[in-house]
Amino acid sequence: MWKVRDDEPKNAFLWDKETKEKNIYGHSIEKTSDDSPLRNQSLNINGDSSVGDNPNRYKQHGFYFNADNCIGCHACESACSEKNDVPDHIAFRSVGFVEGGSYPNYQRLNLSMACNHCDDPVCLKGCPTRAYTKFAEYGAVLQDPDICFGCGYCTWVCPYNAPQLDPVKGQVSKCNMCVDRLEVGLQPACVAACLGNALDFGVIENLPKDREQAKVSIPGFPDPKITQPNIRFQQTKDTQRDMTRPDGMPIKYHKQDNGEFKSVVDIDKHSSKKYWGMQKLLHSHENAHAIFTLCSQAAMGATLWVIASQLLNLGAVKSTSGNGMIPMIAILLILLTYGLIKLNLHLGKPQFFYRGYYNLRWSPVSREIAGVTLFVIGLMMMLFVEITGLKIFEYFAYAVTIIGFALGSYYMYKLYRIPARPFWDHWQTGSAFYGTALSLGSLVFGLLLMPFGLSDAGIMQIASIAMLGLVLESIGHIVHRQDVKKFGESQASYFEQVTTFGKTYQMRNTLLGVNMAIMVWLIMEPSALLLAMSFVSVLVSAYLGRILFYALVIPTTMPGGFFWKNDKFKEHAIETGLADMPQMGVMADRHHKFDVKALIAVIKQTTFKEAFTQIKSIVRGG
Amino acid sequence: MLLNRTQKNPIKITDKKIVEWKYATCGYCSTGCSMEIGFNKENHAVSSRGVGGADVNRGKLCLKGIMEHELFASAGRGDKPLIRKHWHEEFEQTDWDTALDDVADNIKKVQAKYGRDSVAIISTGQMLSEEFYTLGKLNRGLIGTNNYDGNTTLCMASAVSGYKRSFGSDGPPGCYEDFEHTDCLIAWGSNLPEQHPIIYWRMKEAQEKRNFPLIVVDPRVTIFAQSADIHLTVTPGTDIVLQNALMHVILNEGLQDEDYIKKNTNGYDELKAEVDKYDPTTAAKICGIDEDTIRVVARLFAKAGAAMQIWTMGINQSTHGSDGVVGINNLALITGNIGIPGGTSLSITGQCNAMGTREWSSCSGLPNYRALENPQDRDDIAKFWNIDVDFLPTKRGMLQTDIFRAIETGEIKALWLIATNPLSSLPNTARIRKAMERLEYCVVQDCYEDTESAQYANVFLPAGTWAEKTGVMTNTERRVNIVRGIIEPNGDSKPDFWIFNEMSKRFNTEGKVNFPTETHEVFEEMKVLSKGRLCDISGMDYDKIEKNRGIQWPYTQEQADNGEQPPAGGKRIYTEDTTFRFEDGKAKLIPLPFVDNNEVPDERYPIWLNTGRLVEHWHGRSKTGKVANNNKFSPIPFIEINPDLAIEIGARDGDYVRLVSRRSDAIVMAKFTNRVAKNMVFLPFHFHDCANRLTLGLLDPYSRQPAYKQQAIRIETIEDQKSAAQLSMEMREY
Repeated sequence: MWKVRDDEPKNAFLWDKETKEKNIYGHSIEKTSDDSPLRNQSLNINGDSSVGDNPNRYKQHGFYFNADNCIGCHACESACSEKNDVPDHIAFRSVGFVEGGSYPNYQRLNLSMACNHCDDPVCLKGCPTRAYTKFAEYGAVLQDPDICFGCGYCTWVCPYNAPQLDPVKGQVSKCNMCVDRLEVGLQPACVAACLGNALDFGVIENLPKDREQAKVSIPGFPDPKITQPNIRFQQTKDTQRDMTRPDGMPIKYHKQDNGEFKSVVDIDKHSSKKYWGMQKLLHSHENAHAIFTLCSQAAMGATLWVIASQLLNLGAVKSTSGNGMIPMIAILLILLTYGLIKLNLHLGKPQFFYRGYYNLRWSPVSREIAGVTLFVIGLMMMLFVEITGLKIFEYFAYAVTIIGFALGSYYMYKLYRIPARPFWDHWQTGSAFYGTALSLGSLVFGLLLMPFGLSDAGIMQIASIAMLGLVLESIGHIVHRQDVKKFGESQASYFEQVTTFGKTYQMRNTLLGVNMAIMVWLIMEPSALLLAMSFVSVLVSAYLGRILFYALVIPTTMPGGFFWKNDKFKEHAIETGLADMPQMGVMADRHHKFDVKALIAVIKQTTFKEAFTQIKSIVRGG
Repeated sequence: MLLNRTQKNPIKITDKKIVEWKYATCGYCSTGCSMEIGFNKENHAVSSRGVGGADVNRGKLCLKGIMEHELFASAGRGDKPLIRKHWHEEFEQTDWDTALDDVADNIKKVQAKYGRDSVAIISTGQMLSEEFYTLGKLNRGLIGTNNYDGNTTLCMASAVSGYKRSFGSDGPPGCYEDFEHTDCLIAWGSNLPEQHPIIYWRMKEAQEKRNFPLIVVDPRVTIFAQSADIHLTVTPGTDIVLQNALMHVILNEGLQDEDYIKKNTNGYDELKAEVDKYDPTTAAKICGIDEDTIRVVARLFAKAGAAMQIWTMGINQSTHGSDGVVGINNLALITGNIGIPGGTSLSITGQCNAMGTREWSSCSGLPNYRALENPQDRDDIAKFWNIDVDFLPTKRGMLQTDIFRAIETGEIKALWLIATNPLSSLPNTARIRKAMERLEYCVVQDCYEDTESAQYANVFLPAGTWAEKTGVMTNTERRVNIVRGIIEPNGDSKPDFWIFNEMSKRFNTEGKVNFPTETHEVFEEMKVLSKGRLCDISGMDYDKIEKNRGIQWPYTQEQADNGEQPPAGGKRIYTEDTTFRFEDGKAKLIPLPFVDNNEVPDERYPIWLNTGRLVEHWHGRSKTGKVANNNKFSPIPFIEINPDLAIEIGARDGDYVRLVSRRSDAIVMAKFTNRVAKNMVFLPFHFHDCANRLTLGLLDPYSRQPAYKQQAIRIETIEDQKSAAQLSMEMREY
């Protein structure tokens, strides 16, 4: 138990006397019924089996932030980092700001933000390893860094930048609501440390003393509909029409007629000149995703060709594919494996890859991994059938492969439909993914058939489907270009697309056009050489498109500062070598080795029964 | 438990396994927060927290205090005495005796050759009072150079001088509790939320209860200015014009407290005559505040039941800093706002023990506000220390800023620097560097061996820091609080107190003067010297101080003997009529003619350069620059620049730009913000080889404090951003 000091100051204690029944989202604030078995259990903090005596233990708690009062002194975030021993380069709570107006009619609005312990915790639902739990106690959303394998998906889905991926440890950690302090009736450390009388905490919907508002929006705060956050704001002082961010993100907040703020692109952030941005594109940590998605989509597209050529009796390609089946499937498997290895090694703890299946119940990532796994198994069965000639398994192998494809490809797309990442949250992501499967997959298939003699008719068929894929992808891009205007963040992504990466973007578009022209040419004048060349061209265009996709996304995160929590400065510090000084608080993304010893240790520790329970819970929840 | 799992996983929350909390007083600013440092079983300092029952901070700490336990083991600490013949040679490690002998021998040699005053000693506001007292005794009693000062000349000298001129003595009359009673607060050149966050919180708590009006005078829209009811964007260097205009309105409209003035002040007529020249219409054209606002503020201030003024470097660091303080005192005196709850002129001090230097170091005179110019004071101290009274000079010697001029001219040949780093902190670095190079002998005593000034040292003496040592400190509201050596000094470094005592053995050859070996014995000496004086601490002792989480002076032996417990806070001075420290007990109203001698923007250097602090950094960053959780909020130097100005010169947000003054140049990153006017940039002074390459630092005629905040520069864009980044980075190595 946390120890309350004899001289604990009054303002360090929780103050809720009465509480409301429902929160503004219409949910019950009481998290369990009186007779629930969830009650009167220990939180088991650091092996302590006692049960806290907080009278509001089962009620949803939340932070309260009075933006009128925040002075941006960082005491809250330092107190948090001190208590939780948070590494210097990350922070569970951080203070950013927005500013507006002209001297001396200038206004800076500081924003201190941690985890909002949401009613709809998208982090919990997104996490493939089930590292997150929403507790009946205080409604706290807690995360276990030991379970986490460092994929960072929760950092993608959270609109507030609450989960912190530590590039050094290769794992996520986050605000724990100081439940150890709550158990003994104390405010969280950050709240007790506040020097502006801005930060408060209590049962949700309760107003702290002398406060009058409990809003869910202030300038810079993302749409509360995404996660139903348990934070309430006061902001009574009049704001300027435009509030800009001090960090590098080309976003500002503009006041609407109803007084609410909406994010819009801030094109004054940097020059409108066009650049290649290749340095950034080619060295992004997210490139593992680009390689994985391209490899698996190409393999999926090609596999569909293999199956279709067998099942639909596509004469033009069937005769040749017959001879090439074994090397074809083998090569597709190698391609897939390469993609999977790339993906796996980008994890913070690659050795715990198997934890990716843990959250089938909620997480699109788990489902994607399961789907792709099924697809790999199907492909292996197909190879087995070809090698052994056991044709009776042929249809079964196809069925497994197709189900794997359907699930894997769908969730591969679905997992990018993240409301906190508006640039991705569009059907265009799907058209690009399936388009690539068709175009790149077809060409891979064609390329692999070539040694076995590819007929002109075959080339025409392949080019037609590839053309279909390119058209699908292009339509997606055209519609997306219009739809990005709906959200400030996607508008900002688009602004980056035509400036920071403008030349690369233009090249991708040109290549798409050129590739479509080549396909038309191939359909009219089939040529194996041109097909091979078009593969290279489509691959380049698909790769550029994909790395752009990852580099461009701008999440709905909270505004940062000028140095701290500013990706632009972070990049600068890494580029110039400033980041090598540990006191800078900047750490570059890095790869982590596959730690076999750690894996063996876990295998040794885990009893059969535990493993069985774990597997059962994946399927049945619980 | 609600979502995701029915099988509950145990929760892991960092447990620092603290076995003992040890009391300390924060070693950063002079707010004087009581804190506790948590030690684990291995006796490593792993945590810091504010003391709940302490009246000053009531459980809170600012971000620097929260991370203060990291200082003990931070990078760059010295651990062995170092020695070399000449500063361009490599240092060699040595033992303490050799190092101290070398220092003593060289000081004696230089004094023998060039005279007693050819050696200068410059200390700090960050040692403990017992250490200041001991150094004062060592120098005034044995070494005997009159060129002995502290770096407090760079921050508090104007406040000291202003208090002395107005009230007859140094010593801030108010306390933090005044916020609870005031009906109007004017903050002159003070940005509490950033510079003194805990004092700000005390103010905010009071303001939330009683919502008194807040007026902030600052050319920059600081967070404090932004939250003010009235923000006066005064033209740099013209504060006294504004003060005179405010007094003009008050006196013209008969809003003054005639009764108080008559009873308690001299010089009223002279003041009136001068103030008469500053009608708001005329003043507005000079100070940049429109006449209407001047009238509103004057009436608000004068009509308030109790009105309070606070100030910091915006007033002090100016060519008329001392006058600015006198102006504040004038305003307080004519409205009767001294010594009453909520009515005060309270200097918000800088360093943790700047007050302690003022009280005990003998820099500006003799212990406990005694003056060298006063024969009685000289006699008393000579007797008490058992020294020849003729050994004491009859007039104060040079201040830090003048000492460096005297090094330039060859008048001073040897320098002993103690816990200060003039190469970073004095204006016009190039000039200081030249001066340092002229020295025949230099010794640097500091807890960090990577302090920039150490590059000119013949001997480096590694000192303990903060809670590695035992002694008391005095805060802004005259509260004496304690730190104890709760951890051993790093490596072979020693408490400054030990170093002074060892040094005294080398000068006290006849053994005439007594140097106690324990700091509490020194404290007893100080108590004796404080008896019956303004700064009376005779009722205090170490345990009582810790038990009360600091005691405000005066607290006398009689009070203690009568069993009178010291109050938690709220102690003021000058509460009775005619208790000021001039002979007749009256304060002085001093007329303040305005002389404009600042370097103002012109065609070649069209931009005002304003310098100041950031909440995350402390002075020259030798401490906070090594604590990532402080440093990361501003790891490299930058300017706040108005976007309109930046666009005009062709710079973009985040570009490196070159600032050029008549002295030198500096490379900084540009941060766009409308917080500053189009003709002014703000540059944090914390970074070595940056702000002070540019500053001119004209001196105040009374306090000799440099004007850091008023000079002109121009800004140039940099084509080659990469090499600018490289240059900026290289300058950040410490």
